Amino acid sequence: MNRAKRPLWLSGLGLATLLLFGTGAVLALTVSPPDVNQGELIRIMYAHVSVAWVCFLAVGISALFGGLYLWRGRAGHDAWAVASAEGALLFAALTIVGGMTYSKPTLGVYWTWDAKLTLTALLLALLVGYFIVRALIDDRERQGRVSAVIMLVVLASLPFNYLAAEWFRTLHPAKSINLDGSGVTMEPAFVRILLFNTAVAVLAFSYFLLERVRLGRLESARQDEAEREGPAGEAVHV
Amino acid sequence: MSDLVLVLAVAHRDARQELRSRAVTVATVFFSGITVVILSFALGPDPDDLRRAAPGILWVALAFAGVISAAQSYQNELAEGAFEQLLISPIPRAAIYVGKLLANWLTMFLLGLLLLAAIVILFDLPLGRGGPLLAATLASGTLGFSLIATFYAALTANLRARESLLPVLMFPVVVPVLLAAVRATETLLGPGQATGNPALAGPWLQLLVGFDLAYLVVCTAIFHFVVEE
Amino acid sequence: MAPAIELRSLYRRYGRNFVLADITLTVEAGRTVLLKGANGAGKTTLLRVLATRLRPSRGAGRIFGADLAREAQSVRRRVAYLSVLGGHSPTLTARENLHFAATIYGSPATVVDRSLASVGLGGVGDRTVRTFSSGMKKRLGVARLLLAPSDLWLLDEPYAALDEEGKGLIDDLLTDAQARGKTVIMASHALERCGRFAEATLELEGGRLRRADPEVQHV
Repeated sequence: MNRAKRPLWLSGLGLATLLLFGTGAVLALTVSPPDVNQGELIRIMYAHVSVAWVCFLAVGISALFGGLYLWRGRAGHDAWAVASAEGALLFAALTIVGGMTYSKPTLGVYWTWDAKLTLTALLLALLVGYFIVRALIDDRERQGRVSAVIMLVVLASLPFNYLAAEWFRTLHPAKSINLDGSGVTMEPAFVRILLFNTAVAVLAFSYFLLERVRLGRLESARQDEAEREGPAGEAVHV
Repeated sequence: MSDLVLVLAVAHRDARQELRSRAVTVATVFFSGITVVILSFALGPDPDDLRRAAPGILWVALAFAGVISAAQSYQNELAEGAFEQLLISPIPRAAIYVGKLLANWLTMFLLGLLLLAAIVILFDLPLGRGGPLLAATLASGTLGFSLIATFYAALTANLRARESLLPVLMFPVVVPVLLAAVRATETLLGPGQATGNPALAGPWLQLLVGFDLAYLVVCTAIFHFVVEE
Repeated sequence: MAPAIELRSLYRRYGRNFVLADITLTVEAGRTVLLKGANGAGKTTLLRVLATRLRPSRGAGRIFGADLAREAQSVRRRVAYLSVLGGHSPTLTARENLHFAATIYGSPATVVDRSLASVGLGGVGDRTVRTFSSGMKKRLGVARLLLAPSDLWLLDEPYAALDEEGKGLIDDLLTDAQARGKTVIMASHALERCGRFAEATLELEGGRLRRADPEVQHV
């Protein structure tokens, strides 16, 4: 089947992502000067912060397409919503790993109740719940509706969870420097490399998203075909 | 106007169902009581430690019991198709949600009062001038829990593994409620009160009210997608 | 006037499989129709789709001109559904169950006692439904059916679990429905008894619907 073949531009996008990822890594690991305060650890920040931003972007996109699905009921919107949710799950996990890597050498422990890290951990739990429920529902339409509903609740929970995590920390001040470096004025060189790496992360996410949506569409097309079997029903008039 | 009548009818019916299944109600109350006892044992015998931990114990016990009673409120009427009849009747889905919410909220609030009294006596806590604010904390905190519990209990009511699924889904959402309620209670009750200042409860109460308002709107608006099959 | 039921190429999945496949059906208002089929043929599913409990997976349907999915609330105002189990809250009394139904449908509270008496449950109105036998639950279901101001009745196994007197009650109910011009769809295995009232018989088999009137089969 021709539809099953990956279009050329998508392969191109994947390749470009890979190349730019390499460039971003080189920028972060060798070109970037060490930071005055954080030293070589600034190099982790490039990956960590860019991945975290994309994670929240992915939640927003998933909720957007979930909302569209509830509104219009098109299977395609659900494919986008779930692909984006998978991306969010992956990037949330990466964000937490990154945060812990960052936390160990700076604070001596893997886990701190830093507001943004706590927020991400809660988000990860929410996303895991999303996929458990999805797996428990067989009916495609209900699966799409319920998933969308959960993602909207997840989106609504972000500001509250952030506030709560932020205030939680203020009341129990950890001996923590601000992990994202806000408050510390960043050198333009750092900002440029961070932005470059963020762009790469967005690109990687987009590639993942497009590829996953393509697969999702193929999957549902196959199911549609299987369903179309059987003789046509007769029209009954009473 | 007529929608309000429907909301109250659903709430009244749910509350009555809850009261009628007396054994379940008693079990829920004792479950929360046992949770308090177990948490106290886990924290050790030092009275000062326990007094400091009292607000946390109160809300954890309340949260666990709230999950159980919300799930129960759907099981009551799923068995013989009463919920199905409700869903095919011309009642707005939002009225179903708000009605059930009111019943769950009332249950949780009453349970909260009971637990509060038990903890004040057990841990010998001073109940000072913070009474009205404490009631407000209890009301807005239990409302926040009930909003999410009523919503997600409907979603999980006919899924496999619903018993463990409901807390998995709802606890990450109600973390701000738990946190704000515990902190507000802390400033109003217990050793914090001697040194602390009831005015400190203000921001936490604001967070609770903000949470309640936001989710009341969100959940009421999208509840019909949850019960639609 | 719009037909009571109008389904166009309607499909309904249960899990991953289709229980109803490509169903196209028109039922004119005022007809009494018997729906037969083996266990698991999809009779209850079809009734639940018509009652707006289940959305069509594909295709569309209208009840008295109102779309099943998009205008569900208008459909609900004109449809009543008698399920096999009755659909009552077991922890409440018979009267409390009916009072609630009356409130929802905006019927006056006075009809509660009248409809309880008409199904022979006048003396046990204050017992919780949990203590009822399945026949009594069915009767209570009929009482609720009488409360709701509906034009289309969907009856799932109306005769099941009932004693002779109870079956007579259903007979009266159907006679009355026909006299008042209600549309009735009943899913049942009691072919002979339902056949006395049915103006047409439909059969579900393998998810597909076809006409199966007794006369047609004999020819």
